[in-house]
Amino acid sequence: MTNFNFVKNKNYFLIFSGILIVVSLVFVIMWGLKPGLDFTGGSLVEVNFKDQRPANQEIEDKLASLVGKPSVIPVGEQGAIIKMKLIDEAQHQQVLSSLRELTGSTEINSIIEKRFEMIGPTVSSDLRSKSFWAVFFVLLAIIIYIAFAFRKVSRSIQSWKYGVCAVLALFHDIIIPIGVFAALGHFMGIEVDTLFITALLTVLGFSVHDTIVVFDRIRENLYKFSRENFEEVVNRSINQTLTRSINTSLTVLLVLLATFFFGGESVKYFVLTLIIGVTFGTYSSIFIASPLLVTWNRLSHKKGV
Amino acid sequence: MGIRDLRVTNAIPRNRIKWGTVGVIVLLVFTVLFSFPQIYNNSSDWFKEKTKINLGHLPFKSPFRLGLDLQGGTHLVYEADVSKVANGSQADAVEGVRDVIERRVNSLGVSEPIIQTDKSGDSWRVVVELAGVKDVNEAIRMIGETPILEFKEQNTVTSLTAEQQTEMDKYNKEAEKKANNLLRQALAYNADFASLASKNSEDTASAANGGDLGWFSQGSMVAEFYEAVKILKVNEITKKLVKTEYGYHIIKKTGERETEKDGKKVTEYQASHILISTKSTADYINTDAWQATGLDGQELKKAAVQFDPNTGMPTVSLVFNDEGKKLFGEITQRNIEKQVAIFLDGQVISAPVVNEAITDGEAVISGDFSVTEAKTLAQRLNAGALPVPVTLISQQTVGASLGSDSLDKSLMAGLIGLVAVALFMILFYRLPGLLAVFALVLYTFITLTIFKTIPVTLTLAGIAGFILSIGMAVDANVLIFERTKEELRRGLSITQALNEGFSRAWLSIRDSNVSSLITCAILMWFGTSTVKGFAVTLAIGILVSMFSAITVTRILLHFIGPWVKHQRWFLGGNNK
Repeated sequence: MTNFNFVKNKNYFLIFSGILIVVSLVFVIMWGLKPGLDFTGGSLVEVNFKDQRPANQEIEDKLASLVGKPSVIPVGEQGAIIKMKLIDEAQHQQVLSSLRELTGSTEINSIIEKRFEMIGPTVSSDLRSKSFWAVFFVLLAIIIYIAFAFRKVSRSIQSWKYGVCAVLALFHDIIIPIGVFAALGHFMGIEVDTLFITALLTVLGFSVHDTIVVFDRIRENLYKFSRENFEEVVNRSINQTLTRSINTSLTVLLVLLATFFFGGESVKYFVLTLIIGVTFGTYSSIFIASPLLVTWNRLSHKKGV
Repeated sequence: MGIRDLRVTNAIPRNRIKWGTVGVIVLLVFTVLFSFPQIYNNSSDWFKEKTKINLGHLPFKSPFRLGLDLQGGTHLVYEADVSKVANGSQADAVEGVRDVIERRVNSLGVSEPIIQTDKSGDSWRVVVELAGVKDVNEAIRMIGETPILEFKEQNTVTSLTAEQQTEMDKYNKEAEKKANNLLRQALAYNADFASLASKNSEDTASAANGGDLGWFSQGSMVAEFYEAVKILKVNEITKKLVKTEYGYHIIKKTGERETEKDGKKVTEYQASHILISTKSTADYINTDAWQATGLDGQELKKAAVQFDPNTGMPTVSLVFNDEGKKLFGEITQRNIEKQVAIFLDGQVISAPVVNEAITDGEAVISGDFSVTEAKTLAQRLNAGALPVPVTLISQQTVGASLGSDSLDKSLMAGLIGLVAVALFMILFYRLPGLLAVFALVLYTFITLTIFKTIPVTLTLAGIAGFILSIGMAVDANVLIFERTKEELRRGLSITQALNEGFSRAWLSIRDSNVSSLITCAILMWFGTSTVKGFAVTLAIGILVSMFSAITVTRILLHFIGPWVKHQRWFLGGNNK
């Protein structure tokens, strides 16, 4: 068992996280998140050119008359993702034949269409509202769940305070990935889609899972070591569960890293969100959630006395 | 026998542990074979070849079901405009649209299309999923068309009059003469085939390109034409006219090549031709078995299922508007005791015999229907009567190559992740770690077996969920082992420490998994196929992992526990 005084040093961790949260919030306020096709509606074509890929500008100019202002993202050596406004099937075919013309070849397989997506306004507004409600319900369900799980905790601190601390830690865990993606969106044009929301919700589930294990131990130790004061019990509990917290996150991170580096392109940023979320989720359940509990306990005692 | 041993036997009877271990191994063998029957089948084939003893194949035929993003395909969402449909019958109308789309899709020859109706807020939708469809453009065009409902009567005129016959023969004679004349010119030394074609060919589309038809393979040309091209050498012209249903062709082969289509080698030819058209019976009269009556879906007000008051059998009633009432009266009048066929999109959906003239505009189709059949027929009739236009509001198409590429990558990532977790567990927890890895392997195969049996449609996000669950599956093991370590440090025996470890860790395991399951449940409600795929596989993974990490590891640890003399096998390197 490790023996590190987390509680004594808690202010450093709280300040560190506070800075991260403020920076993330500043990013979000300054730049916002770049919404993906799922949320804005529109069309996307991914093609592979059999020979030389034309310059981005060339593609944009060629398609300008057809679809307004397309944006071209090169993929690998010969591929390109072209995003544009909502187009119908006839326009889609025109886009393809225009691209074919660009290659100077009339052959049908001078370009290969790998992917086409088109999302109409009703679908995207649907996804927007569903995302909002999904986040809302997950948070609500988790708060209720924590309240239920800790309804029987006694001594010196009420059960709902566990719930509030766990939820504060959760906000910490999702605000940081959101901040990272605001920066990624600003500097690299990376967008957030329904999978990003899914990743955030998964992080919520995972992170609360971690926090609960620590709180569970606090609950157990409060009975066992009734002579120790609250801070000692919390510190003991964190130390006892530390290896477990780190090890379970490590195994999850191992598989996530494998997927990030070797898995398919389309889940790459989804997995990145999970990696960031799981890392900070573990961090917060060790360094934030329980120290917060101690701080709160101390404050309320001061007032009470 | 000391007190300690007594406690051990009190915990779990040795006998049950032995049978449990046998059960675990049987389960592993079964799930491996169920997930990958080809392992057994291939060895069986090899064995048969070597020894002539046939061990047969396993009866597990069900494949993994792959989503469109992994096998290539298109996902279309249509919005149905039900504004013209009376309140209350919208669901039926959309169901009718679904049926029409299904029949059109089936005619495309797509394997296992999925066509579902869906309601989101006030908007009625039809979701179409087509795997491996060749021509999405064509599919979209066909699906989007408004259905056409027509009433037809039997065609009585089926042969030409003598006059028409003479006229046709004369026309075709002329055409043959003209074609032969052109053939001589084309075969002349130094003839310019392209200019002959552009001046004379009656196939105007190809004439514009000097008669060039481009590259084609078997099946895309009429058989007579294809066979003629096949035996020609490149740059050779047919010595005789080639006759097809279109007329007389003079063909010049201009190229031959091998290409690959869907992984198969295909020979393609390029040819130019000069066509002189001929006429056939169909150019003079309607040769179909049915002829139009002028009555169509616009005159049908509605159709509904009714039950015959005498027999109780389901029937389908039709109500026409005023125009339809008049037309239908006339049609039934002249077709008594003959069939009248109802066509939807050019296909017969019903061809009842007329019993009597019906002049009140209300008809009943009776027959040997089941309720479902009657309902389907009514829906089809309504689909033609109350057209519900559909608009494509979302499309996602993934090419087959991208799909299989993504699949390979995900499987590779999963394997690497699994190996990394296994190494970590063995290095950190030694013997228990090894057993946890065994449980993890079992976990993997149980989950794959469940994916096959439900079946779960595997998408890229779904596989990511599965891989994530591999990482989470050992979580319970880590909790238990850490707890066991603590108990060992307190001086308990291995078996006692194990019992304590399992029972104390259980609460944490339960509480922590519930929170992830709550998230999964909400994500499933979210509904888009990508998100759903992820949530379903993650949820299955979490549930299975509770079994594998707790029950399986526990049985194995208790099985092996008594043989382990040294605690360091349990504690890893850092024990003192």
